[in-house]
Amino acid sequence: MNEDPIPLFRSWNGWYALLIGVLVLLVWCFHLLTEHYA
Amino acid sequence: MSVIDWVVLIGTLVFIVVYGAWKTRGAQDLEGYLKGGNTAQWWGIGISIMATQASAITFLSTPGQAYADGMGFVQFYFGLPIAMVILSVTFVPMYYRLKVFTAYEFLEQRFDLKTRSLAALLFLVQRGLAAGITIYAPAIILSTLLGWNLTATNVFIGVLVILYTVTGGTKAVTQTQKQQMAVMMGGMVLAGVMVIRMLPPDIGFGDALQVAGKLGHLNVVDFDFRLGERYNFWSGITAALFLFLSYFGTDQSQVQRYLGGRSLAESRLGLIMNGLLKVPMQFLILFIGVMVFVFYQFDRPPVFFNQVVEAQVKASPQGGAYADVEAAYYKLHDQKRAELYGLVTAARTGEDAQVRMHQAEATRLLQAAEGLRTEAKALIRSAVPTAETNDKDYVFMGFVMGNLPIGMIGLLFAVMFCAAMSSTASELNALASTTTIDLYKRSVRKHADERHYLRSSKLFTLAWGLLAILFATYASLFENLIQAVNLLGSLFYGTILGIFLVAFYCKSIQGHAVFLAALLAEALVVWIHFANAAGTAPGWLTMGYLWYNAVGCGLVIALGYLLQPWMPKAEPPIQRLA
Repeated sequence: MNEDPIPLFRSWNGWYALLIGVLVLLVWCFHLLTEHYA
Repeated sequence: MSVIDWVVLIGTLVFIVVYGAWKTRGAQDLEGYLKGGNTAQWWGIGISIMATQASAITFLSTPGQAYADGMGFVQFYFGLPIAMVILSVTFVPMYYRLKVFTAYEFLEQRFDLKTRSLAALLFLVQRGLAAGITIYAPAIILSTLLGWNLTATNVFIGVLVILYTVTGGTKAVTQTQKQQMAVMMGGMVLAGVMVIRMLPPDIGFGDALQVAGKLGHLNVVDFDFRLGERYNFWSGITAALFLFLSYFGTDQSQVQRYLGGRSLAESRLGLIMNGLLKVPMQFLILFIGVMVFVFYQFDRPPVFFNQVVEAQVKASPQGGAYADVEAAYYKLHDQKRAELYGLVTAARTGEDAQVRMHQAEATRLLQAAEGLRTEAKALIRSAVPTAETNDKDYVFMGFVMGNLPIGMIGLLFAVMFCAAMSSTASELNALASTTTIDLYKRSVRKHADERHYLRSSKLFTLAWGLLAILFATYASLFENLIQAVNLLGSLFYGTILGIFLVAFYCKSIQGHAVFLAALLAEALVVWIHFANAAGTAPGWLTMGYLWYNAVGCGLVIALGYLLQPWMPKAEPPIQRLA
C-alpha cells in the first residue's frame, strides 16, 4: 500500500467527516427551504 | 436551429473528439490502454466519475421531472456521499493492494474462477444492453427535436464515441470527459441564469421561489417513512445507498475510472470530490426545471411539449377537439397567472391569509389544467396511436428551442450529445476491459503476448461499440425489452454487491457457498420482481424497485452463511493471476 500524504487533514477520517458534514448541512438547508416556501 | 447553433454544436463535438484522439495518440501498452497508465489526478478522476454517471437522460429528463413533480428526486442522491466513504475505506484499498484491472479479478483472488466469471458475465449482459439504451434513449428525443433520422442519430453518437475510445482507450475517455463535463456544466449554469432572467420584469427571484414553493415544487426533503414511496429521505440513505455501493464499487464502468488513479490517495480524493459535488449538481439541474416551471406559469406553455406530435394531432381529424382543449387550457392558464400575481403581491406585504387564498386557487387551477392535459393526451393517443404521451423529456429542450437566444440552443444540444458520449465511452471502455481481462485472457487465450491483448482490447471496444449501435437501432422494435434493460440494473446489482460484501466482510464464507448463494439470491430477486409486477406479492414483499438492491445483497450474505457449513472445503484462492 502506498504512503501518499493526505492533503488538508491528518487522516482520511477528516475527509470522511467533511463529506458527511456537508451532506447533513445540505439536508438541513433543503429542509429549511421546503418548510419556508411550503 | 440557426447556422450559428449548428456551428456551435458541430464545432464543440468535433473539437472534443479530435482533441481527445490527438492528445492520446501514440503507442500504448495494455496497462496504458485499460488503466490510462495510472496517471490520473484526483480532480480528473472525480470529473470522469461524474461524467460517466451523468448520461443525456440525466440532463433531458431531470428538469422535466422537476417541472412535473418538484425537487424530491434529489433525495435519491443522499446515499451517494455515504457510499463514497464506504468505498474509500474498503473497496478501493483492496483493489489497489491486489493491483487488479477489473473489479471481478479481485473475486478470483478471494473466491474462485466461477464466482469471478459469474460476476463478469452479469456485468457484461447488463451493461452491454444498457450501452445501447444510453445511445437510444437520448437519440429518440434529440432526433425528434432536430428532425433527424433516428438511426442516423444513433450512428452519429455511436461512431463519435468509437472513434476516440478505440484509439485512445481509458486515457482518451478521461481526457474527453474533462471537456465534456465543462460543456455540460457550463451549458446548464448558463441555461439556469437565462431562465431566471427571462421571468417577467415584475417577478424577481424571491417571487419565483414563492410561486414554486406555494405550488408544491420546492418540496426537497420528505422525512415520512413509506416503503412504497420511491423518493424520500429514508429510501435515499438506505435503498439508494445499496444501489450506489453496487454502481460505484462493482460496476466496471465506474471502477475503471478510479483504478486509473496515480495513487490510492488520488482515487480516494476523486471519489470524495464526487460525493461532495453530486448532490449540489443534481439540485442545480432540478432547480433549473423548477425555474422553467415558474417561467411557464407566466408565459404560455404548449399543451403538449413534443411539438412534432402536437403538430400531427392538429393536422388530424382530432385537430378540432384538440384546439378546444387548447383554448380551455389557456383560459385556465390566464386565470392562474392572475392568481399568482395576487399571491406574489400578498407575499411581499406579508398578508398570510391572502397568500393562502391565492395558493389554494392557483393549486386548483393547476390541477384543472393538468386534467385538460390528460384530455389532450387521450386525443393524441387516438390520433397518433404510436406516440409516447409522456412528454416530460421534451420539457427542457422544448423550453430551450422556443426561448433561448441563438448560440445557446446549439450549446444546449452539445450538452446533451456530450452527456450521451461521456457515459457511452466509459461503458465501452469497461465492457472491453472485462471481456479482455476476465474472459479472453483468463479463460480463452491465456499465454499470448502483451501486443496481442492490446489489439484484442481495441477490437473488443470496437465490437461492443458496434453492438451498442445495433441494439440502439433495433431498440424501438422491442419496447418491452427496453423496460427490461432498465430493470436489469436493479435486478443484478444487489447480487453483485452481495458477492463483494461477502468477499470483504464475511471471511468464513468460501467460493462454492457464495456462488450458490448468488444464484439463489438472483432467482429470488427475479421472483420478487415478477410477484410485484403481477400484484401477487404478499404485503411484506411489496416494494419499489430500489429495494431490490438491498434485498439481493442481504440474501447473498444470509444464504452464504446458511450454505457454507454444507459445502465441501474450497480450494485455497490463487495468489496471483496470469
